[in-house]
Amino acid sequence: MLSESIWILPALPALGALANGLIGAGWREKGIAAVAVGSVGLALAAALALLVQMLSLPAGDRAFSVTLWRWLSDGALHVHVGFVLDSLAMVMVMVVLFVGFLIHLYSADYMKGEPGYRRYFVCLNLFVFFMLVLVLADNLVVTFVGWEGVGLCSYLLIGFWHEKKSACDAGRKAFVVNRIGDFGFLLGILMAAVTFGTVNYGDLARLLATGPAVSEGAVAAIALLLFMGAMGKSAQFPLHVWLPDAMEGPTPVSALIHAATMVNAGVYLMCRIAPFLEKAPAVLPVIAVVGLVTALYASFCALGQRDIKRVLAYSTVSQIGYMFVALGCGLWAAGMFHLLTHGIFKGLLFLAAGAVIHALDGEQDLGRMGGLLRDLPAVSVTFMAGLLALTGIFPLSGFVSKDAILWGGFERYGTLFWVAAFGGALMTALYSGKLFSAFLGRRRFEGHPHRPGPLIVMPLATLAVFSLLAGIPGLPLFTADTFFARFLGIPAAQAAPDAAAHTLEVVLTVLQSLAVIAVLAGAIRLFTKERRPAESAVLASGFGIDRFCELLLVRPLKACARFFAVIIDPRLIDGAVNGIGSLSLALGRISAGLQTGQLRHYAVSLIAGAFTLIAITVCLAGGL
Amino acid sequence: MSLEHVVGLGIVLFAIGAAGFFLRSNTVVLLLCIEVMLNAVNLILAGFSRYLHGAEGQVYIFMIMTVAAAEAAVGLAIIVALYRLLKTLDMSRINFLKG
Repeated sequence: MLSESIWILPALPALGALANGLIGAGWREKGIAAVAVGSVGLALAAALALLVQMLSLPAGDRAFSVTLWRWLSDGALHVHVGFVLDSLAMVMVMVVLFVGFLIHLYSADYMKGEPGYRRYFVCLNLFVFFMLVLVLADNLVVTFVGWEGVGLCSYLLIGFWHEKKSACDAGRKAFVVNRIGDFGFLLGILMAAVTFGTVNYGDLARLLATGPAVSEGAVAAIALLLFMGAMGKSAQFPLHVWLPDAMEGPTPVSALIHAATMVNAGVYLMCRIAPFLEKAPAVLPVIAVVGLVTALYASFCALGQRDIKRVLAYSTVSQIGYMFVALGCGLWAAGMFHLLTHGIFKGLLFLAAGAVIHALDGEQDLGRMGGLLRDLPAVSVTFMAGLLALTGIFPLSGFVSKDAILWGGFERYGTLFWVAAFGGALMTALYSGKLFSAFLGRRRFEGHPHRPGPLIVMPLATLAVFSLLAGIPGLPLFTADTFFARFLGIPAAQAAPDAAAHTLEVVLTVLQSLAVIAVLAGAIRLFTKERRPAESAVLASGFGIDRFCELLLVRPLKACARFFAVIIDPRLIDGAVNGIGSLSLALGRISAGLQTGQLRHYAVSLIAGAFTLIAITVCLAGGL
Repeated sequence: MSLEHVVGLGIVLFAIGAAGFFLRSNTVVLLLCIEVMLNAVNLILAGFSRYLHGAEGQVYIFMIMTVAAAEAAVGLAIIVALYRLLKTLDMSRINFLKG
């Protein structure tokens, strides 16, 4: 039965990784790429077949589940390794496999001639495996396994060029910052297990809906702890610091892991535990505010970057912020939909940026890019399509998804919230204009850019088309009851649509669009001028958050470590251990003095001992 | 000849043997002192055996005499070997077994 075999989705990339990793040592690059791309391609085909089958089912029971084996069992708590593919997971699976497949294809050409070609594809396949485990898991613990697995692959791939110190540092930073979030995640899992006695999503939802009453505070605490994990993985302020540095990895990795899939895992997790958030609505404003702060902050930082990949990285942070804003407004569908469209157009932007960097012999500085449209027409056109989608220009997909979020924020949290969110959208237009300047205006690159091959252009073109098409599920406009929401099985609001609010929404949307277009046009003009505005140092350093962390966390920690290494360890710990040794030595030396070697001394002690024993015995017997 | 005389003589003999053992340093003399002490004990055992009209004390005397004979044989052999090795029988200079 097809629906029973959803385990095949993660199994295929795992097989690919195993084949390449264990027996691929002598294979040529083409063979390695064929295995890697083929395994993800097959998984994509299987996922499409499952999607077709899912669409044929009624909206109520669109879920395939399979329990593979029992993993842990301790009294009341049982953890099974089980997968569930419902409509929410399906969205994520499609993003992971579709974008992942195109990125594998692109990498086959992009990474050609790299010494670590096989290692790269093993890690990439392994990443897809863990990502699918994360997505398909039917309980928190298995999700956590996938969660850590993708973190591991992210670490390995950020540090892919491990002979570069900055790459190793960036990988380590990503790992350490994620640990902070994962700490919260793990606590959340434990608390859920203690409170509810289960970690299975279905059981948890059932218990929350009908089970014995649990205090709202406990539910909120679990949700907040899990949100902490999501903040780490999804690079939300202030745990976002690892993502810009993660751009040290190869560009397709940035596209796959740090734009389209892994960093969205936090959003997905929040949707998975939506029953918690619905039970404890007090958590929602926290999520919304964190998302909004991140969205605004990162969009400012993006403007200050010179490195094309760092602009995109901050842009990713900012867009994920918008997804959390959507979740914070209780709009799961809008959040997941922005995840979908963002995955496509940000994947496209990163891949196109990679193509640009390759064409310019590794140049990443925006200040030395200009007029690339004439040299690299295909890449430039697709990049600009991605930018328009990112900015949210009608009718590209970004427009559909972002509009829903802005309106949701306005409706739930009022004008001020909307102003801030909209400000972020205008900033998006501003830094997009800066990216546009790489393709318009005069040439700034000395040398001759070489055009990319078909394996690179084809994924770009596909993604560009989809960044237009991906808006379709978000239709019809101006309602929460979109095709996408229906696919997710989220019931439409019962309240009759308010005509006045509806008019306001339409007017706002039109005004927003006009403002965004105006800002974008102005930004393009500004940045294509002969003398571009210089980057502000404050923005470039992300308002000095790295320095702040250095001063507030790294230095005290290092000082603390030094204190323990220099004072506590050699004096206290070693002192105690060595002290016991020298004490027994000294005692031994003292008692060794009793042994003189003189026979008569021994004889005296013998006799004295005998007399003492006799005296004691006599005394005890009461004789004297 | 009462029990007190016998035990008193035994104690005196034992004290002489013990004092000799503590004060002299010639190894052969030390062996003699051990014999004196053992025989002091034998004497006391014999005295008590007679006083109590029992045979156990006399049995012990024979066992002690056997052990003393064996001890004298082994001890003299050790003394000979010791002398060959060290060319001395002065016990105060034979003090190699110490910590």
